[in-house]
Amino acid sequence: MNWSAFVVGMLPEHFLIVGLLLLIVHAIVARGPQGAAAIAGVCVAAAAVAALGLGLGGHVGQPFPGQVSVTPAASFGKALALVLALPVLLLARDDLGDGGPLYPLLVASLYGLALMLSSDSFLTLFLGLELMSLPVYALVLMGLRRESTPEAALKYLVLGGAATATFLMGVSLLYGQQATLDIGIFAAAVGSRDPLALAGATLVLLAFFLKAAVVPFHAWAPDAYEGASVPVTAYMAAIVKAGVLLAALRLFGQAQPSPAMVGLLALLPLASIVWGNLAAMRQPNLRRMMAYSSIAHAGYLFYAFLGAGPGRLQSVLFYLLAYGLMTLLAFAALPPHADDAQRDRLDQLKGLFHRQPFAAIVIGLAMLSLAGIPPLPGFVAKFLIFREVMAAGYTLYAVLGLIGSYLGIYFYLRVIQYMFMSPAAVPAGGQAPVRGVAVAAALMCLLPALAVAIGPGWFLPRL
Amino acid sequence: MSDALALQLVLWLPLAGMFVLWAVPASSPGTVRGLSFWLMVAQFVLCAWLYARFEPGVPGLQFATRVPWIESWGVYFSIGLDGYNVLLVLLTGFLGPLVVAGSFSAIDKELKLFHAMVFLIQFAMIGTFLAQDLFVFYVFWETMLIPMFLMIGIWGGERRIYATLKFVLYTAFGSILMLAAVIYLVLAAQRAGHAASFAFADLLRLGLPPDVQLWLFAAFGLSFAIKVPMVPLHTWLPDAHVEAPTTGSVILAGVLLKMGTYGFLKLGFPLFPAATLQLAPLILWLSVASIVIGACLALVQDDIKKIIAYSSISHLGYVMLGLISLDLIGIQGAIVQMVSHGLTAAGLFLMIGMVYERCHTRELAAYGGLAKLVPLYSVAFMILTLASIGLPTTSGFTGEFLVLLGAFNAAWALHLQGQDFALAPAVLAVTGVVLGALYMLRFAAKFLFGPTRAPVARLTDLNRREAAILAALIAAVFWLGLFPAEPLRKTETAAREFRQLVLSARADALPGSRP
Repeated sequence: MNWSAFVVGMLPEHFLIVGLLLLIVHAIVARGPQGAAAIAGVCVAAAAVAALGLGLGGHVGQPFPGQVSVTPAASFGKALALVLALPVLLLARDDLGDGGPLYPLLVASLYGLALMLSSDSFLTLFLGLELMSLPVYALVLMGLRRESTPEAALKYLVLGGAATATFLMGVSLLYGQQATLDIGIFAAAVGSRDPLALAGATLVLLAFFLKAAVVPFHAWAPDAYEGASVPVTAYMAAIVKAGVLLAALRLFGQAQPSPAMVGLLALLPLASIVWGNLAAMRQPNLRRMMAYSSIAHAGYLFYAFLGAGPGRLQSVLFYLLAYGLMTLLAFAALPPHADDAQRDRLDQLKGLFHRQPFAAIVIGLAMLSLAGIPPLPGFVAKFLIFREVMAAGYTLYAVLGLIGSYLGIYFYLRVIQYMFMSPAAVPAGGQAPVRGVAVAAALMCLLPALAVAIGPGWFLPRL
Repeated sequence: MSDALALQLVLWLPLAGMFVLWAVPASSPGTVRGLSFWLMVAQFVLCAWLYARFEPGVPGLQFATRVPWIESWGVYFSIGLDGYNVLLVLLTGFLGPLVVAGSFSAIDKELKLFHAMVFLIQFAMIGTFLAQDLFVFYVFWETMLIPMFLMIGIWGGERRIYATLKFVLYTAFGSILMLAAVIYLVLAAQRAGHAASFAFADLLRLGLPPDVQLWLFAAFGLSFAIKVPMVPLHTWLPDAHVEAPTTGSVILAGVLLKMGTYGFLKLGFPLFPAATLQLAPLILWLSVASIVIGACLALVQDDIKKIIAYSSISHLGYVMLGLISLDLIGIQGAIVQMVSHGLTAAGLFLMIGMVYERCHTRELAAYGGLAKLVPLYSVAFMILTLASIGLPTTSGFTGEFLVLLGAFNAAWALHLQGQDFALAPAVLAVTGVVLGALYMLRFAAKFLFGPTRAPVARLTDLNRREAAILAALIAAVFWLGLFPAEPLRKTETAAREFRQLVLSARADALPGSRP
């Protein structure tokens, strides 16, 4: 073990583990739950700053050679996920209060994510992946408010288990062939024509597809997103998805996919884009709609893997940032409601502009950005992805993907239509104005998003 | 103040206005309206000043600014005035205050949001005209969509949701294909060894292979043709116009419809000259089809807004005809026709809005005998009608006459080369003039003359505000009709350049063709 690399390179992880320990101690020692949110917030913020600093400083190190190594790409990935986690903590504070084991679970999950992003072997990667996922199964159950929640949590758990099994099977095939657990074997297998290696790589990739909810492995997402409470849904949609994609990014490295892999990497994401956007049109509530939207966005994100080279990292990171910020923004601005099942029914949003203009405008901006309409950051993100696909020579896939994204415009605009163009219906009762904490969370998403929209030229070369 | 700074101000003033409005309390509608109006006036004054300073006969950009935006891709925030956009920027600036003043009595709900959207759309339209970088152009082009979506959807008529979604989904489909083409175009340039750049000036020199041009032109052309709109892609327009509030119709007819023709003028034809020449017969026939079918449809409408909506399709067909004639006179005529249509259609929609506010019906059959009841209104209406028909001394005449002259010039030149495909469409286009006179005069006759009907019995004549708006419009119509030399001089260099760019593809294929 390399001590100085361990101390400096894993600084974000250290902050998180300190936060986790403090939270556990706090739960034992403190009289009440007050203060847990503050501890979590400070630690995650410190970890985010540390990760950003390491990334901008271009820090490279090997705290545990062969197991954990730190690169700027990994640090930026961690910074991205941790920055996105901050508004989620605020939202959780707003929605679920100080109580319960919420914050330890969130911080533990973030620790897993961070570990996963700097892992060099499949062993560490698996550890990180599971550490990221397991707390989320419990989080879905947190703040149990409706009958469908346990079913959703169970579905998520079972399919998460299936993903784990698929992942391990793929890894065992790769290990059987190469006799090493170094993650480099995946990148080699992706580009090879050897059937065994390809089978292993395919299984690993399918596990990622399942975790990221790519068609046809997407069925868990709408139920889990709907059943969980809003902050947890936001966490799953923005951060867990980012974690999975960033891990995939690390696994792929600079690999150029072989033709067989290209088929898999193009067709399933394309199906995801088309089906996600089509199915989202029919959803009666915002959380389910966002679940299908996230299925479509997983498709765009995996599309970027068709291209090789540094553009892939840049486009995926930028896309995750734009997508994550805007998804969180929509959830943060969603007015609370006495009955959680009513909270995000689209009918409840009717005439929202007349009651709560700020919430309506902010949700509207989020929808437009997710639809990829300029000048919002979602547009530059989409531009980057499709430029990447086309630069790799897959013009047809790019055009089909863009047409698929066109299908999505309708349901995003429908939300705006409900909020702005429906008469100011008196709410069915129980809808409350957005609270200060949630406004702060919304601003934490909105301001960086605007900065990214105005100056993408500043961000892109630094990624 | 330097001229480049003034041009920046023209662009950013509306956006600033949008945020300034935020600070105004919603409880004082007078302040919101007054502030919006005077900001628009300030913008117009700047536009007029820049127009006066614009040097004719100088090729290339004037008052240009170029700031790096996304440097690693070669995207520059690059704007400037040239012969292509100078008249259209002036038109947009001119209509701005009139649009705001025209909405004073018509809009009373969500006033702040309404004016914010007017500012946003003004910003996006000016930006689209001024952009000299394809990425910037696309961003502005798409930004126009959202304020229009809200404007029709919030302040529109009964079927506003249907109309606004139809409008957005139609235009967005074109845009998404254009996006694919934009990405492909820039990557193709890079593959050919050029530096990464979105600048129009660089893209115009690419010289892509003809088969690639054809695909890219199809994507760009579809997007532009939907916006124009050209038959058969026009079905969104009547719905959008009928359901939109007066302000929305005025912006739509006044400026937004010119985006499509401007797109062809600035990008579609010059970027892909080989494809343009190859598809010229098709474009020619579609233009003539737009002229004739638009006019025929206008002839049978009972809804007064729909008459003007269909007449717009017909008038923009002339613009397309002038552009595709590739004759200097025709191209110049097309540019003038764009401005002329912007003035007359905007004026007619404003006037329809004025009676609609008083009578709450758009049925042509409900009106009649307005000439006796409201003489001032009727005189103004008649002048705009005649300008729309293209009576000499009005702007409509300058535009249509030059377009037809150009079309015949081109058709005859082609005939001398043994190609006869252009003669029949040119002749057919002339019938459009007759049809135009027919539907507009039918409209005016039923509307202004004949027996007075019940809904209009208590009609009041123009008030001072309305009279001032119309006086400004009519003055502009006569200015362009009586003194077209000055504006034509300002656009001539650009028209020559356009023609040369498109015909460069023919010069390779047919040596010894017309200079």
